[in-house]
Amino acid sequence: MSTSQADSKGYVGKFVRTKEGRAPLLGKAKYTNDYTFAGQLYAHILRSPHASAVINSVDVSGAKKVAGVRLVMSGREVAEYTNPITDYLDPAVFGGKSADIRPMAVDRAWCFGQPVAIVVADDANIARYAASRIQVDYTPLEAVTDAEQALAEDAPRVVPEWDDNLLMYVPFVFGDTDSAFASAAHVVSTEVGIHRFSTQPMETRCYNAVWEHDTESITLYATSQNPHPLRLVLAETLRMPENKIRIIASTIGGAFGMKMHGHPEESLLCLMAKLTGRPVKWVESREECLLIGAREQRHYLEMAFDDEGRMLGLRDRFYANLGAPSACPGWGMAFLTGLTMPGPYRVRDIDVQVHAVNTNKPSWNAARGYGKESTAIALELAMDHAARQLGMSPVELRLKNFIRHDEFPYGSPTGLMYDSGDYGGALSKALDAINHEDWLEKQAQALAEGRYIGIGVAFELTPEGGAIPGTMVAGYDSSTVRVGPDGTVRVLTGITSPGTGNATGIAQIVADELGVDIDHIEVLQGDTNASPYGFGNYSGRSTIVGGGSAALAAQDVRKMIDKVAAALLEVDLEALEFQDGLYFGRGKPGTPLSFAEVCYAAYTRAYDVALCIEPPLEVTRTFRPPSIRHTPDKNGHINPYPSYSNAAYVSVCEVDRETGKVELLAISAAHDCGKVINPVLVEGQACGAIGFGLGGVLSEEITFDEGGRQLTRSFVDYVMPRMSDVPDITMVHHDSPNPDTYLGLKGAGEAGVGGSAAAVVNSVNNALQPLGVLIHDLPLSPPRVWAAIQAAEGGH
Amino acid sequence: MEDLLHMSALIQLRIDGELHELEVLPNATLLDVLRDEVGKKGTHMGCRTGHCGACTVMIDGKVAKSCITLAASLPRATITTIEGLQQDGEMGPIQQAFWDEAGLQCGYCAPGILLSTAELLADNHQPSAAEVDQALAGNLCRCTGYQSIKRAVHSACVRMYPDQETGIEEG
Ligand code: FES
Ligand code: FES
Repeated sequence: MSTSQADSKGYVGKFVRTKEGRAPLLGKAKYTNDYTFAGQLYAHILRSPHASAVINSVDVSGAKKVAGVRLVMSGREVAEYTNPITDYLDPAVFGGKSADIRPMAVDRAWCFGQPVAIVVADDANIARYAASRIQVDYTPLEAVTDAEQALAEDAPRVVPEWDDNLLMYVPFVFGDTDSAFASAAHVVSTEVGIHRFSTQPMETRCYNAVWEHDTESITLYATSQNPHPLRLVLAETLRMPENKIRIIASTIGGAFGMKMHGHPEESLLCLMAKLTGRPVKWVESREECLLIGAREQRHYLEMAFDDEGRMLGLRDRFYANLGAPSACPGWGMAFLTGLTMPGPYRVRDIDVQVHAVNTNKPSWNAARGYGKESTAIALELAMDHAARQLGMSPVELRLKNFIRHDEFPYGSPTGLMYDSGDYGGALSKALDAINHEDWLEKQAQALAEGRYIGIGVAFELTPEGGAIPGTMVAGYDSSTVRVGPDGTVRVLTGITSPGTGNATGIAQIVADELGVDIDHIEVLQGDTNASPYGFGNYSGRSTIVGGGSAALAAQDVRKMIDKVAAALLEVDLEALEFQDGLYFGRGKPGTPLSFAEVCYAAYTRAYDVALCIEPPLEVTRTFRPPSIRHTPDKNGHINPYPSYSNAAYVSVCEVDRETGKVELLAISAAHDCGKVINPVLVEGQACGAIGFGLGGVLSEEITFDEGGRQLTRSFVDYVMPRMSDVPDITMVHHDSPNPDTYLGLKGAGEAGVGGSAAAVVNSVNNALQPLGVLIHDLPLSPPRVWAAIQAAEGGH
Repeated sequence: MEDLLHMSALIQLRIDGELHELEVLPNATLLDVLRDEVGKKGTHMGCRTGHCGACTVMIDGKVAKSCITLAASLPRATITTIEGLQQDGEMGPIQQAFWDEAGLQCGYCAPGILLSTAELLADNHQPSAAEVDQALAGNLCRCTGYQSIKRAVHSACVRMYPDQETGIEEG
């Protein structure tokens, strides 16, 4: 893409804001729940109180009697009008099992919180009240909530028709691990327990389905990250043609994966609108939102090292507790955790075994990091453990084992093709940024005073922008750039913004390519009737493909405008000059033409000066990252990712021996996200991801009772970081441009969760080392840390 | 439900400068009244249990969580929502500071973050970092990791009280 017009004089690389960013500050941004229509009805969903049960009968007659109720339906009735929900990512494509996933339970509930009946009424309170009048007769069954227990021969089956509860088993095996281990001087085993936690955006999900009588079609206002693919799923589930469905994804109050589709409420609400002929809205309560889980995995790692600390082999057997089957793409995170092994390390002989297991917990959905955070947590805790066993410093051990910066592009043993990076350089930068040496001194001083300060490092590799063959995870995306006769610009993209500011980045790119003022650019996303077909927001891809395709389209439109300008000025294209919004001919006296004048001519003089182009000034282009490869190589591997952002993290904490409370004192990060379009926005995202990581390992946890009923129901139980919980974060960039993307972009947004999480855990264990305490079972909440300290002291 | 109608209360609220006389059910929260009856959609629902702060408004100059405030408990009150922070149609100094510093991302938490900042800076012209933490302790933000918010609060303070030295270290 050497024809790029973008240069250092433009907007790219600078902190710029576009006007649309003002709306939330004024209280004027329109989130999905802010839409209400004439005749608006409201839905309430009755959910299973059992983790596993036979549903003998659902008696809705009591609810139907409540004044203001318009429609009540059981799962069995809904099933008559709908097909099973199509998987976002079908496990069968990966050699796994597929289940029939219905919008509501039919005859059997397989998790706590599964929808069992729905009420539609004139207002939300009436709907809720009426739902309490529905009588459901259940026969509770024994539930299985632990992934490893779920694999026992005699474990209850989550899906009765299945032979076992193993959704998928994937081995990632390369080289000769057995010989590597046989020749090793040291073998270090580490067991890491990652708990269930969740993204919990501040805006819960909301759907408002509107039946359009004139066209017999549906418009769904939805908190959706992927409007076009959602439309296809709805078409199949609702047995409607796709072109009769329109999705409008309005401003989104944070998504982080949770608003990727497959949720039962999406099709349910559409069906309710169709059957009542009126708009029907459902707003997810926080309690419902907390049902959506993620991340729970238990890893059994073994690392083989030679005498000098070089890793010779890696084994990891892990079990992901996916909860009940779901059409959402959450399960894929388990696959990704395996695929991303062995992360940033050079070891070639690996044997990684992924067990993706269904249980009677509520289902997962995608969560920022998409499984790659779990790779980082497992590997980085194990690396620290190995460093302790080998008597090396954690930094030294990592530097010895990182892929070196001159080894890129690097083919990983699982088949990924890492584009670029300088991992060792990034780690050194992160250590410098936090003043590592000073902290070592402070740590020693503190210890002398009986206080426990710890320093932890971690590294994270985050493949971003993925494309999986045969699925709607497409990797490429498209944008339209449309320049009006007055020179103003409308950009339509297939990607969406979950509140991350990617529209600003795209406006910056287009402004530079066209050479216009950024205030003349409007970016529109998320309306399937307006945007080009696109795949929305996931996997840190938005700027890579959204920005990349917008750049291509803008370059093409710019060429058209240049041609018309040259024709108007009667000069050759080579002699055409464009500066500060004005066109003139080199060596040709006369009045320059404004950008707008040329655009006007392009529209109005189609038969003379604009004969050289095909009006209107509108081009749609696609950016298909060239490094994605779906034809298997000789090892049978594909490269599903175009971009491998990476980062090093350092955490410093102090642990209170009396209470087990961890206080974070400082965090630093050296982040390689390729070329940065807007440094402040990228930094903001990285800090947000770090907040996820530290909250996840210190306080956020979703728990269940023995019968599989969820205990975590509100923010009282689900403790997310508040301002005082997040220390100052020092961010430095250590960017190596991606050779295969527009301007060298990598992804930003997913990275940060796993690396910061692991660094925090490593710092806590480092602090507790003098007490002989080591915790690899997360989260490190005060009771757990306190108990570990007590146990160690009792043992003395 | 009919019983409730007999118990409805008449309340007078001055909301962002405009007087509203409303008859409300005893169980109606201020959040629902503001959003559904008065159309103040800038005030958001994040949890309905008083923990997230997305529903924050000012009641007679003090921040409160509208989701756990019963409208009927306010026979007469002055309410400021996020929509009332503008000054003469322009962004107020706090909004401007959050704009300049890219203080927020998705903006769903904005009501609580901005109004809590407004309350803090109204009587404290030199807040320390700990005082900022405390003032914003009732507000969750999931997008930013709070770094940009701290920066924006500092900048708002400088903007409002240019002659004061703030105790907040530059972030
Ligand atoms: S909605 Fe009121 S505090 Fe969360
Ligand atoms: S900016 Fe999204 S929750 Fe604060």
